[in-house]
Amino acid sequence: MGDSHFAGIMDITEYIKLVFTDYTLRTITLGTAILGAVTGMLGSFAVLRKQSLLGDAISHAALPGIAIAFLITGAKDSNTLLIGALISGLIGTFWIRGIVTKTHLKSDTALGLILSLFFGFGMLLLTFIQKQPNANQAGLDKYLFGQAATLVESDVWLMAIVTGICLLVMLTFWKEFKILLFDADYTKTLGFNTKLIDILITTFIVLAIVLGLQTVGVVLMSAMLLAPAAAARQWTNSLSTMVFLAAIFGAFSGVFGTAISASQDNLSTGPVIVLVAGVFVVFSFIFSPSRGLLFKQIRFIKNRRDLELHKTLAFMHHIAETHENISHPHTIKLLNNFQGYTRSTLQKLVDKDYVHLNGNMWSLTKTGFEAAANLYTKQSTEDE
Amino acid sequence: MSNAQLEIQLIASLVAVACAIPGTFLVLRKMAMISDAISHSILPGIVVGFFITQDLNSPLLILLAALTGIITVVLVEYIQKTGLVKEDTAIGLVFPALFSIGVILIAQNANDVHLDVDAVLLGELAFAPFDRLLIGGADVGPKSLWVVGTILLITVALLILFFKELKISTFDKGLAASLGFSPAIIHYGLMSVSSVTTVGAFDAVGAILVVALMIAPAAAAYLLTTDLKKMLALAIGFGIFSAIFGYWVAHWLDASIAGSITSVLGLVFLVVYLFAPSKGIIAVMYREKQQRTEVSLLTFLLHLKNHDELEERHVNHLREHINWQKVRAKTVLDLAQKNNMIHIEKNIVSLTTKGDEFTSKAIDYIMTNEDAQIEDMKDDFFLFRG
Repeated sequence: MGDSHFAGIMDITEYIKLVFTDYTLRTITLGTAILGAVTGMLGSFAVLRKQSLLGDAISHAALPGIAIAFLITGAKDSNTLLIGALISGLIGTFWIRGIVTKTHLKSDTALGLILSLFFGFGMLLLTFIQKQPNANQAGLDKYLFGQAATLVESDVWLMAIVTGICLLVMLTFWKEFKILLFDADYTKTLGFNTKLIDILITTFIVLAIVLGLQTVGVVLMSAMLLAPAAAARQWTNSLSTMVFLAAIFGAFSGVFGTAISASQDNLSTGPVIVLVAGVFVVFSFIFSPSRGLLFKQIRFIKNRRDLELHKTLAFMHHIAETHENISHPHTIKLLNNFQGYTRSTLQKLVDKDYVHLNGNMWSLTKTGFEAAANLYTKQSTEDE
Repeated sequence: MSNAQLEIQLIASLVAVACAIPGTFLVLRKMAMISDAISHSILPGIVVGFFITQDLNSPLLILLAALTGIITVVLVEYIQKTGLVKEDTAIGLVFPALFSIGVILIAQNANDVHLDVDAVLLGELAFAPFDRLLIGGADVGPKSLWVVGTILLITVALLILFFKELKISTFDKGLAASLGFSPAIIHYGLMSVSSVTTVGAFDAVGAILVVALMIAPAAAAYLLTTDLKKMLALAIGFGIFSAIFGYWVAHWLDASIAGSITSVLGLVFLVVYLFAPSKGIIAVMYREKQQRTEVSLLTFLLHLKNHDELEERHVNHLREHINWQKVRAKTVLDLAQKNNMIHIEKNIVSLTTKGDEFTSKAIDYIMTNEDAQIEDMKDDFFLFRG
């Protein structure tokens, strides 16, 4: 599965030069990049429509179509097989929808059903084909796990054309897609044909998945659809930015994945691309400024510190209130039976000129007293 | 029928039963896709386990791989809890990543591992009888028969022991928690059983068939009954039927047994999906059509009650006024007449006493928002349904 004839190329500049000169490497890099971009783009819609696992189901459901197309035409021409895959993927998708809308089975059951049943049927057909005499069936199983190395220039052209059409349709119907995504009922009342828009989006998602089967295979295709979109979602709340970012993440996953698998022995391209996309996701989960886990944790700790500081100040204020002179010194020991107090919070209060320290006695300053008095009556504007 | 054939059918049937039991609960708990995720993500566990044990049927390997399955569930739940993505996205992110690691591990060690990704995903039941378990030199049967049999025994024992707990926590988590048994323990227990079953069965039948055997029989059974015990029994029945029938189809076609069992499962589901008495697609569409006609009838009767003018009640006027197609107007008119709701005199339609009573009651229910009552009322009044 690995592209072993690129083994030993570790030098980056040399590798980049090779991308431009070597036919195979250039084709694969371009193919995976375009594939990553288009799946990332359409994946954004799948993720936002809560159809994340649809990709998994469709990619499995495409298998019998490939087998039947081969049985009928006997041709290994990838375009014919892709049309078969597209048809059976669409049948699977609409059957899933039929199950969900017409019966009380839930969508997870419907997805799992179609996925496993279609795939099993596809396997039956594939093994049946393999047993046929004279069948030139070699190469059909590349759709199972994907073989980026088998990409040829015409495949890349096909991908580029589909991506172009997809981009064109998306720009034309941008408003409709967007509004359907966020408020389907409103779209209907506005008089849009929601069914048609829905079918349009779904068809393009199926198309993108089918295109990717040859490169990354049935099992990993769903990750290609999801990962760039899930990563992009963390950085923005705007649909257009998200689609754009997802396309970029997808394309880079393709390029980096190809580079890594080409520079090592025995590394299949598909899984490496998926893992690279996974790295994008993990990075986004952790480091995204507004939603990321890291900054969330930092904000959490900061808020807790602020709260402790405020509590200490309020406690001091409570004591100082009972004295005529607000700056009357008190012993630090008094604070010990209060939870929020630590030496560092006290020092922070001193730094802010709220508290005056003298030996092991403290006294509230005038500004400190006022700040404490207003602590719960108005939002303090200068947050720490 | 040779001995090997019998053994294959026995193994397939046992796997079917072992899958149907956790599958039923997965379908009811809306977690069917978790089984798909587990079936893929156990791959790295299997590979690592294989490095250690060098035996695909070793209990240690099964435990290691099942652990990967549980790690998948925990990871999915962790990602979901961060709130960064929805649950289904979390599932879709975790299992391809783990699967990729598994594929890479296999490819990197291709020389030491006689492990094929194809075999893991698809299994080869036909070879199962040739891997015998020898105890003290005596042949006691195929290894996978013992593995699957043991798993099935444990599953059945757990099912009988914790049936009540499983049932309550499936249908009412809050009640289960308030009665004192932790839904979390039952949840992870079910996940563990699913993982172990998946791993134990994958060698014989492959990951995809495991998913099919878990979901399809349970889904078909769910369309036929709402009783948990009946659903379990039906799911098991469907599973065994597909396993045995699927084997013979494969035998006849000379094709993959796993693929053929899945296809039979698909056919079983398709038949149930189409013809299930009250929840099948035909029954549902028939009921929808019936309801549409009956709603039209109600609209029509209300129209009659509201209008005393002769021209408003002329037969031909209906088509213009309520904007119905000719066929539909005729259906509604016939239905109303059959049920003695109206009588037609010189092409003028008027309500009978029964029709009048029915309409008044219907208005009453519509005004008080008790639309549900209308269904009962229809039973009282209608001689013929739409």
